[in-house]
Amino acid sequence: MALEIRDLHVAVEGKEILKGVNLVVERGATNALMGPNGSGKSTLSYTLMGHPKYEITRGKILLDGASLIEMTPDQRARHGLFLAMQYPVAVSGVTLYSFLHAATSAVRGYGERTPTATRGRLNSHLMPMREFRQELNEKMAFMEMDPAFLQRYLNEGFSGGEKKRAEILQMALLKPKIAILDETDSGLDIDALRLVSEGINTLQKDLNMGLLVITHYQRILNYIHPDVVHVFVDGRIVKTGDAKLVDVLEEQGYEWVRQGMG
Amino acid sequence: MIERLDESLPDIGVTPQTAQILAPGPKSVALLSDLYDEPDWMRQARHEAWQQYEAMDLPDPKEEAWRRTDLKAYPLDSLRVVLSARELDGIYDLPPCWDYALAPVDQVSGALVHCNGARTYAIMRRDDALSGVILEDLHIALKTHGDLIRGTWMRGATTRPGFNKFTALNAALWHGGTFIHVPAGVRVARPLQSLVALDAEGGTNLHHTLIIAEPGSRVTLIQDRVSQDSQPELNAEVVEIYAGAGAWVRYVSLQHWSEHRYSVTVQEARVAENANFVWVAGSLGGKMTKDFLRSDLVAEGARSMMAGFSFVHSDQHLDQSTYQHHRAPNTHSDLLYRNILKDQTRTVFYGMIRVEPEASGNTMAYQANNNLLLSDARAHAIPGLEILANDVRCSHGATVSRIDDEERFYLEARGLPKPEAQSLIAQGFIRPIIERMPLAHIRQRVEDEIAERFWL
Repeated sequence: MALEIRDLHVAVEGKEILKGVNLVVERGATNALMGPNGSGKSTLSYTLMGHPKYEITRGKILLDGASLIEMTPDQRARHGLFLAMQYPVAVSGVTLYSFLHAATSAVRGYGERTPTATRGRLNSHLMPMREFRQELNEKMAFMEMDPAFLQRYLNEGFSGGEKKRAEILQMALLKPKIAILDETDSGLDIDALRLVSEGINTLQKDLNMGLLVITHYQRILNYIHPDVVHVFVDGRIVKTGDAKLVDVLEEQGYEWVRQGMG
Repeated sequence: MIERLDESLPDIGVTPQTAQILAPGPKSVALLSDLYDEPDWMRQARHEAWQQYEAMDLPDPKEEAWRRTDLKAYPLDSLRVVLSARELDGIYDLPPCWDYALAPVDQVSGALVHCNGARTYAIMRRDDALSGVILEDLHIALKTHGDLIRGTWMRGATTRPGFNKFTALNAALWHGGTFIHVPAGVRVARPLQSLVALDAEGGTNLHHTLIIAEPGSRVTLIQDRVSQDSQPELNAEVVEIYAGAGAWVRYVSLQHWSEHRYSVTVQEARVAENANFVWVAGSLGGKMTKDFLRSDLVAEGARSMMAGFSFVHSDQHLDQSTYQHHRAPNTHSDLLYRNILKDQTRTVFYGMIRVEPEASGNTMAYQANNNLLLSDARAHAIPGLEILANDVRCSHGATVSRIDDEERFYLEARGLPKPEAQSLIAQGFIRPIIERMPLAHIRQRVEDEIAERFWL
């Protein structure tokens, strides 16, 4: 039960960015992936989620043994993969409520039970409103979010902290098996970071979720403790160790790893 | 709380079984006046309008407003006025597909339903009726408010018989109409609703709407149009709105014409001193539609806010000419029209802002037309400015865009299949306008209908 990445090579517009990534994220485990800017960390996270811009030239991505590469992004999400984005996209006119209702319903398979012809009008592809509303209220309280948020447009005009809280709220509703956190600490002050991290830790326990925490700095790792730490430089993992590796990196910087490679 | 007022129909000697069909012509013009026992001035007005109609050519396709909508496709030969009297025993007698167009009765101050031109149902909240608020069939109102109607009848810049052949036709043969009068200072508690429905035997729609809001009054009309046509049909409709000094008037104009209906509508609002006019127009149906939508800010402090949305699919053609006319200082107008185009559709937006010399001084006019293409549809946007005054702030803009890939990826990454992600984004595109409509029932109905269309 894991996310397995085998010899993954990825190119963007003909230029190779990922040069053979090997990584296994077990359910319940926390893997940290640390690397300098421009090393390809975000390319990895977008590739795993299926962004069409990234072309896989070689390798495998498996989730519980099933290949993700042939799946569309929505199929991957329904299969249990979640990407908390560094820059959540604003979608004007779509209220947070209607989005959460649609996404939760889709991931829980309500849409698949509905013939296309009867969609829309009767909202038959959506989870029953009362049931959804109740669960949503609990999760909103858990993330200390004001219900007034639900009527705002998705991520539009949200502060950095509000965006990240909304990402974790989505994670709580979609209940993934594996979650990738892409620079989740960026743009968060210390209180927001604590709240978001506690949310993630609780969800990990409840869902036995595997975490891939992608970060430049150690900051978030003070709150979300990694079992395994990978150092990512120039499109591949160059070093793997336990949590102590974080402190070494913080002291000596990525230059130390680069020299070690030389 | 709700009571049915007098629902007696004028005795025109027809029943659903013996519906009469009038061909266009001077005899039919006179017959309508006879049937409704109209005052002489209306008889005369119809007669003159018919003469104008006969003397006029169809609009010249070289004219800017008609360059992109080909009237040759219009079913001008199938013109006919259908007279049928259908009285409903209650709102629940409406065909189910129309019933849902109406908001629950306890959410409105009054409702008026026309079916095939005949007044079929009317209710009015007692308190509003006692305040003197009138929502009534125009034929009936001619008897009770004849002088008031005569004083304003078809005197607009566009809402006049001579504007084009279609307004002349409406002036001569109008049949079925919605009349609203709100006395000075009276605030209508809840929205009024009008439904103009035509079934397969409905024929040409020649509905005429007249709203007179006296100074200091406040009123909302939600007017919806539906049809079930079995053959190409014509719609030649006129809406006249008068917002008196300090009045607040909101007109929500929706159309759900069938895919067989070809339409020309002319709607004009005259906004007096310190009056506010709020317009929300929603176009979902029709084969080809041409709308002239105009707000005239005629006195200092007048404001108008025009908003519109449309969702066209299949091979629909939607053409709108808007006109924001500033004739006094310190007048503000704002316009936001958004269209979603699916399949092989085409939309035309011709938006004009005109500021007269006498409007100098703190006048503001804004206009935006945004089009979202979901396919290889075509959207034409032609903004126009005629500024003859100083100390005026004006801006206008038009955009044509497609669904943003990053927005779509974000929604897909949260489990929504591509078509669902697109539908959500597209609905979001027009939601700011839908939110300007009153009553959750109406908003939900429109949103459901749009969601449903997405899967067609």
